[in-house]
Amino acid sequence: MTFVQKYLAWGAGALALIIALVFALPTGKARGFDVSGFGTLPILEGGRVKPLDSLARNSLLVIHSRQGFRHDNRVVGPDEWILDVLFRPQVADQQPIFVIDDPDVIGLIGAKQTKNRNYFSFADLSSHLEEIQKQATNAQPIPAQKRTRFQSAIVNLFDRVYLYYKLRNTLQLAGSPGLGWELQSLGSPDAPLRHQDLMQLAQFRMLPPPGGAGPDGWQNVGQALSASQAGAPLHPGLIPLAKLNAAYVANDAATFNQTLRDMNAVVSQLTPGALAHASNEVVFNRAQPFFVGLSIYFVAFLTLCISWIYKPDLLRPTAYALLFSGAIVHTLGLAARIILQGRPPVTNLYSSAIFVGWGAVILGLIIERMYRKGFGTAVAAAAGFASLIVAQNLGTEGDTMEMMRAVLDSNFWLATHVVTITIGYAGTFLAGSIAIAYALRKHIAAKPDAEAEKALVDMAYGIICFSLFFSFVGTVLGGIWADQSWGRFWGWDPKENGALLIVLWNAIILHTRLGGYVRDRGLMVMAIFGNIITALSWFGVNMLGVGLHSYGFMDKAFAALTLFCLSQLLLMGICYAPARFWTQRPPSKA
Amino acid sequence: MTKPSASRTKTLAFGAWSVLKSFQLTIVLLALLMCLVVFCTLAQVEMGTQGAVNAYMRSFVVWNQPLLLRLPFPGGALVGLLLTLNLIAKTIDIKLSWQKAGMWLVHVGLVVLFAGEFVAGMMQVDTNMSIEVGQTVNYVQSYKEMELAVIDVTDPVWDEVYSVPDTMLSKGRDIAIPGTPVTLKVKRFFRNAQLSNLMPGAPPSVATMGVGPGVSVVEAPVVSADNEMNQTSAFVEPVAGGRSYGVWLASVAIGAPQSFTHEGHTYALVMRLRRQYLPYAFTLKQFRHDVYPGTDIPKNFSSLVQVVNPSQKESREVLIYMNQPLRYEGKTFYQASFGKNDTLSVLSVVENPGWLLPYVSCVLVSLGLLVHFAIVLRRSLKRRQDKKEG
Repeated sequence: MTFVQKYLAWGAGALALIIALVFALPTGKARGFDVSGFGTLPILEGGRVKPLDSLARNSLLVIHSRQGFRHDNRVVGPDEWILDVLFRPQVADQQPIFVIDDPDVIGLIGAKQTKNRNYFSFADLSSHLEEIQKQATNAQPIPAQKRTRFQSAIVNLFDRVYLYYKLRNTLQLAGSPGLGWELQSLGSPDAPLRHQDLMQLAQFRMLPPPGGAGPDGWQNVGQALSASQAGAPLHPGLIPLAKLNAAYVANDAATFNQTLRDMNAVVSQLTPGALAHASNEVVFNRAQPFFVGLSIYFVAFLTLCISWIYKPDLLRPTAYALLFSGAIVHTLGLAARIILQGRPPVTNLYSSAIFVGWGAVILGLIIERMYRKGFGTAVAAAAGFASLIVAQNLGTEGDTMEMMRAVLDSNFWLATHVVTITIGYAGTFLAGSIAIAYALRKHIAAKPDAEAEKALVDMAYGIICFSLFFSFVGTVLGGIWADQSWGRFWGWDPKENGALLIVLWNAIILHTRLGGYVRDRGLMVMAIFGNIITALSWFGVNMLGVGLHSYGFMDKAFAALTLFCLSQLLLMGICYAPARFWTQRPPSKA
Repeated sequence: MTKPSASRTKTLAFGAWSVLKSFQLTIVLLALLMCLVVFCTLAQVEMGTQGAVNAYMRSFVVWNQPLLLRLPFPGGALVGLLLTLNLIAKTIDIKLSWQKAGMWLVHVGLVVLFAGEFVAGMMQVDTNMSIEVGQTVNYVQSYKEMELAVIDVTDPVWDEVYSVPDTMLSKGRDIAIPGTPVTLKVKRFFRNAQLSNLMPGAPPSVATMGVGPGVSVVEAPVVSADNEMNQTSAFVEPVAGGRSYGVWLASVAIGAPQSFTHEGHTYALVMRLRRQYLPYAFTLKQFRHDVYPGTDIPKNFSSLVQVVNPSQKESREVLIYMNQPLRYEGKTFYQASFGKNDTLSVLSVVENPGWLLPYVSCVLVSLGLLVHFAIVLRRSLKRRQDKKEG
């Protein structure tokens, strides 16, 4: 590798990092309004203090499956969207954000599949709300996995419509003249009824508690109004909020931006630190490290593939440098989540996917340092890309930093058991990926390369040992946690069984190899099967009907999982087929 | 004549030994265990966790597994036993050299782990204790098993309880209640039944006394899923001093007290979950169910319990909460559930004499793996050095 090539390679990596950095920069104002400043305001929702921006992104993700949309020939981002929903519902109601895929549901609301695909606005749905609610109420008592497709879809639509409905009635009652009017009419006889509605419908609490009271002290607008009605002094946040409302409705950007500063001052005075914490999270949201990371992994993988046919001396180090930058972005994202949440890296299925990908990438980097053949880079980039894709699909259910349910609320066990077992998953997947690379290579490579094959087998074998260690220790630690919190070490619970299957399978691989019953090829076939076992115990056991709530995941994931398993079986066949399968004609009987 | 037979025994023993310590056996057994784990997991959807574990893991042969042509399949106990023997054989067979010290420790640790699961399977007793705030409870009760309690309630401050387990009722024999003149004649026993009001015109009930005559009882299939309960019921005829007190219907589904009086003693008949009385009592002083603000996501459950043990002259308060159970007199009490608008706390109670074994195993295996890795690392470093020098 010449000096120039080295420069170019690391230059590409640095460029990727710079692009990643650009993502984190604040976006400009929308129509002159400082919408991202408004998105930085802290709120309390789902039990934790977060920026409004997080709520906007997650709600839009739930309702629309994306974090932004095009309307009237321009892109509307989450912060602008939430402002419209909160302050100008009459505008937001016209935006076609509800995705409906189920033809029966589309038929129910009396619409045809329009050219604009199947996007509907709240206004489109508003005349059918009663019917949607009626159908959903009928379907709700049925357990999620027993619902028909229509029932799942209608319940899902109802949940999204209800979320939207709550959002538009959180800071003011939709259809009323606004928060300012609400403040003026404090004391009028029909006000308490409206306060009651506001309290019940509020999706989040926006008014911070004075002077270091706990998170319980946060109030929603309805609570604050109701307290004033009862004689308490007016919450200092209400007036700037009402002014923001009026300025936004009047399209007065200058006043809006000015009042936002007042609101920030009130918030920082009442709850110091909340604003800083929220703005850190906004930077994290904007940077989208896992999306950027998966893009970089993708480019790295492509670069490496090209390197096999074109300028290998330049492109292979470039791919490695790109993988390295991807890993940096990925690691930073992971670290940011740990810091923001104050928890070990794995707290739910979404974060486990991110961590599995991270583990696979780090292991791949190490392998590449040891063998320098490009296999480590290829496998790590592919595994990192795939697991981040899985994570992106798992993260569509709402807040990915949700609070931990009581029994999981133990940082010690989350840090030991969950992390170890997830490293075990990562290792097993990596071994499987290496085996896939081995299988494909065997058939594609022009001439057999014994040294390369040997290297791949060694890598896979070493990683299987590594995974057996981590999955075993992780499983036993899980048993000890279970003994601590439920009183039994082992209960044959589906999730425990899943972990046990991985341990058993890795043990079988090592023992068959040790006993000499399989050689290189057999070992690789078995390693690919490890992918199936791991996928089933990671996601499959959740589909037995334990601990899963969302229809979207169930259906889509089941198909995806089946497809994945079938593809792995196919790859096992490919791996088992002899290398000269294509050229050697099978002997004919005739 | 004796010599060849002895040598045949010897070869047979040798053959058995070489099978027992073989890798093939390990692999076959591990594969069988994997199949069993898959079966057991899938079966839980229908049978409930306990049912599936008993059918697949705690049995020697699974006669009727639904997934593989209904062929008999070796059960978890058999596979586990063979695997343990295989492990022991292997452990003995591993050369006692320092090179193998790590692997030796690992396999000893695994033997201990298996032993722990065996002990748990054979001896672990799972019960629970539900207490309402302010209530004092001195017994734990079974999750599924029933008993028919004959309670002498004559003394207003002290109940004398005699209980007949459901397994005994199901045999249908006459049961003399020790310590009392009463003998119970079991007319019919239903492990699970459907109770409803007797419709006019329907055939009359077997029962002649208590609430029974107005109730129709229909046998129902036994359920084992975790969230279902059998409505165990029985028609019994108490006989004392040669006199019959009529036929009574006792059922879990009946809440109303039913009793008869014999020679100044009043006996209540109650079908209930099987109880085990304790030499100490718990009083629930406070139950907390905290949620994260603005949500219904539970943050913590905790029970503040006063433990009173007269034999130890002990009376103290204990806080039982998530991940923080109380280990007391061989039993462990865990916060498990709650009810009745947060005024009822349910503690699950586990008694497992082998609870320490997995911990021991964990230490042994981890140590073994570390030792093994150290040895391997040393070897490879040495090899690298040799290469450099050579």
